[in-house]
Amino acid sequence: MSDDTKLNSIVEPPPLVADVNDANTTPRPPPVPRLNLAALDEISRADPALFEDRRADPPFSRQVMTTPLHFYVASESLTNLWCNWNGYTVADQLTSLDDEYAALRHGAALADISPLVKYRISGPDALAWLRRLVTGNLVSLSVDEIIPVVFCEDRGLVVGDGLLFRLGDSEFRLVTEERHLAWFMDSAIGHNVRIEDVSKTLAAMSLQGPLSCAVLSEAGFSGIENLRCYTAHWFNVTGMPVYVSRSGNSGDLGYELWVDPDDAPAFWLRLLDKGKAYGVKAGGFALREIARIEAGIPRAGVDYLGAFSAVDPQSALTPFELGFSALVDLNGEHFTGREALRKAKTLPPRYILATLAVDWSAPLTFAAIRDGSGVAGIATSTGFSHALGINLALATLRPAAIADGAVLHVQAEVREELSLRVISAAARILAGPAVLLPARHLVPAPLVTRR
Amino acid sequence: MERHDAIVIGGGLNGLTAAAYLARAGVDVLLVERNERLGSAAAGFDIHPGFRMPRFTLGTSSLPHHTVTDLELPKFGLRFMRVDGGVSLLADGCYHASYRDGLMMRRELTRHSLKDADAWTRFRRDMLRAQFSLRDALAQPMHDPSRRSLAAFRALLGNADQLAIKPVPDLHDMTRLWTMSCAEFLDSYFTSDIVKMHLAAKALAGTTFGPYSPSSARFLMNLFSAETEGAGGGAPASVLAMGGPQAVADALGAAIEGFGGHVRTESEVTDVILRDGKARGVALADGEEIYADAVLSDLDLKRTFLALFPWKDLPKGFVERVGRFRMRGVTAKINLALDGLPAFPVVPDDCPALQGGLRLAMPMEKLEQAFDDWRSHMPPRTPLIEALIPSMSDRSLAPLGKHVMSVAVHYVPEVLHDGAWTQSRKDDFTDLVIGEITAHSPGFKDLILATETLVPPDIESEVGLTAGDFEQGEMSLDQMFFNRPMPGLANYETPIGNFYLCSGSAHPGALETGGTGAGAAQRVAAALGRNVITRRGVGI
Repeated sequence: MSDDTKLNSIVEPPPLVADVNDANTTPRPPPVPRLNLAALDEISRADPALFEDRRADPPFSRQVMTTPLHFYVASESLTNLWCNWNGYTVADQLTSLDDEYAALRHGAALADISPLVKYRISGPDALAWLRRLVTGNLVSLSVDEIIPVVFCEDRGLVVGDGLLFRLGDSEFRLVTEERHLAWFMDSAIGHNVRIEDVSKTLAAMSLQGPLSCAVLSEAGFSGIENLRCYTAHWFNVTGMPVYVSRSGNSGDLGYELWVDPDDAPAFWLRLLDKGKAYGVKAGGFALREIARIEAGIPRAGVDYLGAFSAVDPQSALTPFELGFSALVDLNGEHFTGREALRKAKTLPPRYILATLAVDWSAPLTFAAIRDGSGVAGIATSTGFSHALGINLALATLRPAAIADGAVLHVQAEVREELSLRVISAAARILAGPAVLLPARHLVPAPLVTRR
Repeated sequence: MERHDAIVIGGGLNGLTAAAYLARAGVDVLLVERNERLGSAAAGFDIHPGFRMPRFTLGTSSLPHHTVTDLELPKFGLRFMRVDGGVSLLADGCYHASYRDGLMMRRELTRHSLKDADAWTRFRRDMLRAQFSLRDALAQPMHDPSRRSLAAFRALLGNADQLAIKPVPDLHDMTRLWTMSCAEFLDSYFTSDIVKMHLAAKALAGTTFGPYSPSSARFLMNLFSAETEGAGGGAPASVLAMGGPQAVADALGAAIEGFGGHVRTESEVTDVILRDGKARGVALADGEEIYADAVLSDLDLKRTFLALFPWKDLPKGFVERVGRFRMRGVTAKINLALDGLPAFPVVPDDCPALQGGLRLAMPMEKLEQAFDDWRSHMPPRTPLIEALIPSMSDRSLAPLGKHVMSVAVHYVPEVLHDGAWTQSRKDDFTDLVIGEITAHSPGFKDLILATETLVPPDIESEVGLTAGDFEQGEMSLDQMFFNRPMPGLANYETPIGNFYLCSGSAHPGALETGGTGAGAAQRVAAALGRNVITRRGVGI
């Protein structure tokens, strides 16, 4: 935290309050960076605090890691169901998955997403380093814009994916599911760039759903409806600064709030309070999972393994195999793994990640996707979509399984007291995500007045 | 006249494993052991009335999972305990502990460096990758590639095929691991010195390599030899057998008899009976002769051929080549009975990793110096000290509240540059080691109830290992795989018909506990027309 205050004296922070209309309709003058290189150098060199253990208790003592919002989330829990997300104890379900899902798809669902890993990347070479790191093209990324990114190692295998925010001229934030500091620091050698893990000093919550814009507007985020998809803006609500991005993984309209941990509870309570009339409910991790499965978004460590954690080299995939083709720009500047990816593009993929629907009216547990000749793929995430009444799965399939005329099915064991029924249900590959709503892109975002 | 299908000479873990596999396959097998108890180097003893401990080895177990299940050892009384991987203490009051739990290990590494906490994922991946490909290699018999047999040709093709499908960068990684020095290899992963010192000290303990010796990096993957993919993502566990290594030997002995084999202790084999250049049986010290269709030796290569045969009956030049087989002692053993649990103020109270043992780590340069001292036969000045207090987790070993401490000291030469080990030299050495431990644990000296020091020559005379070499032949690249024990002697065969080598001098040697025994049993059973089914190489 002391680092942040130190840095604030070096890089001029963006204005806290601004007219959103102005920011989005008229081209914004390029911000004038006021960088004091000597001072920046100074703190880049002496940074022992980053590597110091500030906790006194030993690693083996019992530690329940909680987010800054934990007690406020916990007070919503009617179920006492918890799970582990990135080492943090988070709510799995708060009320019931049905109710939370109804809020997500018909009102708005609020969730604590603080366990995400957040990196702050700054320094004169920040952009140059990021351009080499990620496979996409960052040329058009201007301040307050966001881009989903994927990054590979030299062999073109995906290390991880995330969301890249441009906070300032040479200041960025990368939000990922897993930790990548070792790879980032190794690849940053030779760049004048500073990479910090700020996960603990930044709280985050997401508000997703068709009425999320209306709720934020009601809560005092004036002009929020004009925020375009994958852009962000600083707001000042009741005297507290908050950075709001129009992003999320529900396949629907949604926002994510990035805020100081001390202010987070106030926003949490305010959104629940102001959103009551709009049907806002707090949601848990299970809701986040089913929402992303419906939206067809793979999760690192679950649907694919990072190239540095896959023990079997065959388990690490290229962006093309993961469906991240749109995030790869082979014609732009050089980035790590570009040559390997050029070659990989000419080869048929070894696997394909696809969304699969299994028509069965109750949740099923399965892993193997079978075709006539045997196992054609593995379901890496499964979930039951209450709205659609089907079992959805993200599955890594062999290309042959996707060929025309391939008939897929899954086998599931259904336990009924002491007897077991083995059912075989047909599976079909969906052309795209199960839920992808146009409201994601609408500008101005739908604002529904209070009934 | 006593007659069996097969005789195993020597009751070390390899001999016991070989006999147990053969007995399970229906072979009428007899195991002959010189000492009163089975186990050889794995044997335990009472250092003090009521204090039981492993006498020659540190006391952790690395018996592979498939041997335990194949031989149904739990049925014969064997129980294991998995504990955290141990603690390294540094002179400047710093420590590093190994935890099995991924999150705990992450927090531990974060104490030293946030970057290293992330780098652990990549290190662990690479070690598991190397370990899995090695496991595949260990699962199949090692054929002599120069021999034009169909099986050897097929194995060669299989290996070439495997190499061909490997992406080139994976081959690069493999080459680096098998040729680089340990210290330089670790530099490519970690930044914090104590993490590197901890891993190097753990990997190199008991080897004839220093941290800067070429090809010493490969010992790092041995740390992961029992690790599975599904494990928690932390450091590898230490495994202890309840009752110590002696219990493993006893369970294997019980398994041999349970499967219909025979065990005879306190009988020493002095000669192998030869007829027409083939082994027909063994002669015992008391003159008794026992005959068999196959004879397996669990003695090291040198002792096998230089002690059991008249040299004139061996092929020309063979004796000379056996003599050149490198066996070098590196490890001394100090056994201690303690009046209480020693305190290590640097380590937080109740640290669970202490159950997996502790080592006094030192900077790479100092470790290299210890290795240099060993190589030039200097009396140890800064040896690598490794200790295990098995009674912390196995309370049957010592009276309640009291403990036994098993101390293995590495880089201790077999012969000193100015003569042999004398009693006063041994006393100085004991004082040095106890002084080093006392420096980390105030009051340690006053806890000692009984001491025993065994330097490599003592181990040679007690166990029979030439030069006190626990690896039964240096694990250098020229003495491994199809070159182990020597070119032309792959697949457990010897120049003597019906006579096989099942000791660690043959492949895979120290790479897998009991692995040579299991492999030799497979070879002998095939010669006797039987089939040994082992689950080697099948994922655990």
